[in-house]
Amino acid sequence: MLQFAIRRLLSTLPTLLVVTVLVFGMVQLLPGDPARLLLGEEATPAAVAELRRSLGLDRPVPEQYFRWLGDVARLDLGASVKDNTSVGGLIADKLPTTLQLAVFAMLISLLISLPAGILSAMRQNSWVDRLLTLLALSGISLPSFFLGILLIYLFSIRLAWIPASGYVPFLEDPGRNLLLLLLPAVTLGVPTAAVLTRYLRSSMLEVMTQDYVRTAHAKGVTGGRVMFKHGLRNALIPVITAFGLQLGGLLGGAVITEQIFSVPGFGRLLVDAVFTRDLPVIQGVVLVSAVAVFLVSFLVDLAYAAVDPRIRYH
Amino acid sequence: MRPAPRTLALFTLLALGAASAQTVTVGLDADPPRLDPALSSAFVDRQVLNQIFDKLVDLDQNLKIVPGIARSWKVTNGGLTYTFTLRPGVRFHDGTPLDAAAVKYSLDRNMTLEGSARKNELSSVKEVKVINPQTVQVTLKQPYGPFLATLTDRAGMIVSPTAAQKAGADFQNGPVGSGPFQFVSRRRQDNVTLQANKGYWDGAPKIDRLVYRPFPDGDVRLANLLSGAVQVITPIDPKDISRLEQNPKFEVLNYPGLGFQGIWFNVTRAPFNNKANRQAVAATIDRDAVAKVVFYNTVKPAAGPFAPGTPVYNKNTRIPAPDLNAARQRLGGRPLTFTLLTTPGTVTTQLAQLYQAMFAQAGINARIQQVEFGTLLDRADKQDYDALILGWSGRPDPDGNIYDFFVTDGSNNQAGYSNKTVDGLLAKARAQNSMNARSATYNVALNQVNSDLPYVWVYHPNNLVGMVKGMSGLKPVPDGIVRFKDADLK
Repeated sequence: MLQFAIRRLLSTLPTLLVVTVLVFGMVQLLPGDPARLLLGEEATPAAVAELRRSLGLDRPVPEQYFRWLGDVARLDLGASVKDNTSVGGLIADKLPTTLQLAVFAMLISLLISLPAGILSAMRQNSWVDRLLTLLALSGISLPSFFLGILLIYLFSIRLAWIPASGYVPFLEDPGRNLLLLLLPAVTLGVPTAAVLTRYLRSSMLEVMTQDYVRTAHAKGVTGGRVMFKHGLRNALIPVITAFGLQLGGLLGGAVITEQIFSVPGFGRLLVDAVFTRDLPVIQGVVLVSAVAVFLVSFLVDLAYAAVDPRIRYH
Repeated sequence: MRPAPRTLALFTLLALGAASAQTVTVGLDADPPRLDPALSSAFVDRQVLNQIFDKLVDLDQNLKIVPGIARSWKVTNGGLTYTFTLRPGVRFHDGTPLDAAAVKYSLDRNMTLEGSARKNELSSVKEVKVINPQTVQVTLKQPYGPFLATLTDRAGMIVSPTAAQKAGADFQNGPVGSGPFQFVSRRRQDNVTLQANKGYWDGAPKIDRLVYRPFPDGDVRLANLLSGAVQVITPIDPKDISRLEQNPKFEVLNYPGLGFQGIWFNVTRAPFNNKANRQAVAATIDRDAVAKVVFYNTVKPAAGPFAPGTPVYNKNTRIPAPDLNAARQRLGGRPLTFTLLTTPGTVTTQLAQLYQAMFAQAGINARIQQVEFGTLLDRADKQDYDALILGWSGRPDPDGNIYDFFVTDGSNNQAGYSNKTVDGLLAKARAQNSMNARSATYNVALNQVNSDLPYVWVYHPNNLVGMVKGMSGLKPVPDGIVRFKDADLK
C-alpha cells in the first residue's frame, strides 16, 4: 500500500510538468496585453511599454517560462500584476474559503443523495422513485447561476432570512460564516447531489441482484439489514469514484457560485485574474488546482482500497 | 459574581457606542485594482481614492474648480506659473504634516514613479518649487489650460511622503492620505474598509465606517441593495431604475455625467477608409431610439464629445436625425458589409443588435463579433477591426475628452485618424486659458471631425446611483465619484 502510494505520487511529477507547460502556453494564447488592460483608459504607448518592461513581458516566451518554472520549483509563484501582492499569499488567503465551501457543499450533497439514492433503489419504479428521478434530473440540468439567483431572490429578498452576499472567516464568527456560506453551498451542492443520487440508485440496484445478497435474503436476514450491511458498502465503491470526480468539478463550479454570492474565494480570484490578464495569478491558480485534482484522485484510489478488501495494490 | 457598577456602566457605554457607530456599505461594479493615485488607471479606483486623499483643488456640482487642500491659487506669467497657498495645520492619517514639501513630493512622485499613469497628465509641468511651508509653485513648460482640472483628479492627490517612501511599490496596499476617511484594510474581491478621519480639517464625516464591496454583475449588485446587504450601489443597470424608483424603500440619483459613447471607424483600411461609407453608416443611427429602447431614457443623445452642462458644450448642437435616403445615396448602390466589434453583456448585445437593425434599413450588412474587453482594447490599439463600440468615462476639462482621441497618433485615437488642421486646433485650444476662447477653437475642430467622421457620437450616459431612503448628503458631482464626507444615514 505504502509502496503503491509513493509510486502513484511519483508518477504524477511528469504529468505536472506537462501541466506547467500547458498552463503557461494557454496563458500566452490569451488575447489582450496585461499592461494595456491594467492601464486601461489612461494608457499611453510609453506607459504601456514601461509597464511591459517592468513586468518582464518584453522577454522571449521560453525565457519567461523557465524563469517562472524556476521560481515555482522554489515555491515562489510570483507577484500579482494588479497590486504586487504575492500569488502564494493570495492563494493561501483564498483557498481555505473555497475548500470550506466545497466541503460544505459535499456534506449537503451527501445529506441529500444518500437517503434519496437508497430510497429510490428500495422503491424502484414507484412514484417516490419517479419523483426523485425527476428532481435529480432537474438538479443536474439547472444551471448554477440560475439556481443561485433563485435562492437569493427567495431567501434574501422575499424572506430576508439570509444575506445575499458577504463573507466572514470561520474563526472570526463561526455562526455567521456558516449562515453566509449556506446558500452558495446549496447552489454548489445540488448538482452534485443529483449526480450522486443517480449513481447510488443504479449501483444499489446492481448490487441487490448479486448472489451474496440473494444468499443473505435466503438466510433470513431482514430487508433493511441486507440493504445497509451488504448492499450499501458494495454499492458505495463506484459512488466514491463519482464523488472524487465531483470534488474536482466543485472547484470549477465554485467559479460561478462565488461570482454570484460574492464569496472571496479561489474561483473569484481566477475570474478576476482572467479579466485583468493577471498572468502570474492565473498561472498560480491553475497550477494549484491541477495539484489539487491530482491529490483528490490519489486519495480516491486509497479510499477504494479501504472500502473494498478485494482491491489491493501491489 | 456581580459585575461592579462601574464595569456595567462601561459596558453600557460601549454597547451604546457600538450601536451608534454607523457603517455604510457601497456596492461597486469592480474590485478597485490599484489604490495609489500615481498607479491607478481604473475609474473604480477613483471612488475609493477620493475618500482617502485630499486633492489640491476639487470640483463642485457645477464643475467649477473649488479649493481643496490649496486654499487659494494665483495664475501668473501668462499662464505659466501656478502659485498655491495651502491650508495650515492639515495632517496625514499617519500624523505627518501636509505642507508644501509634501505637495512637491506627491507631484514629483506622480511624474517620475515607475509605471505612473499620471506622467501624461502632468507632462506640461516643468518644475515644482517649495516657496515656504504653506506655499508651493508649479511652473509649466508652455501654457496648458486644462492644468487645474487635472489636479481635481488623481494627479492632484497628496500622499503622505513618510508612508509612500516606507511602503514603496506596496503603497497601493496601505494608502495614506489626509482625506475624510482613512484606509483600514482590504481583502481582494471582498472589501475595502475605511474609517472616518475624526480630525479631518473640514469637520469629521458623519458616518464612522465606509465599506466598498465589488459586485461585477448588475443583477447581483441590485439584489444586494434590495436585501439590505449594501446601502448604496453605483452604477445601476438602466433597466432597474424604474423598479427602484417604484419601491418606497429606495431612491435613485440620476444625474448627467461627463462621458460619451459611440462607434469608432477604422479609417486606415477598407471599408471605412472611404468617407462616404462612414457617412452612410452614421446616417442610419436613430439616437432617440437607442436612448429609449436600450437605456430607458437614462442617456442623452450626443453629437460631440462634450456632455450637456459642461463649459464648452454648444447649446446649438443639432442631434442628427436618421436619414436612410441620405445613407443609400452615400453608398450609391455599392454593397457595404463590415464587422462590428463589441464586448459581451446584456446592454452591449442589445445595443449592437439595435445598431445592426438600423444599418440594415439602408441595406448595410453588419456582422456582430463579441470579444472580451481586453481583446477589444488590444485590437483597437492595433487597428485590427472595421468598426467598434467604445466610449469614454469623461473628464471635467474638455481637453480630456477630445485631445488624445483625435490628434494624430493620440493614445486614444483608435481610428488612426490624422488631420493637420485638427491637430493644430487641438494644440491651440490647450494653450488657451480663457474657456470662451477654447470653446470657440473646439467648435471649429469639432466641425472638421464630424465631417470626417472617424467616430460617431451616439449618447452621453448619466450617472446612476441607487441607495436606501434615509441616505443623505451625497452630492451629484458630474464626474460620477460619490463623495461620502457629508453622507449620513437616518
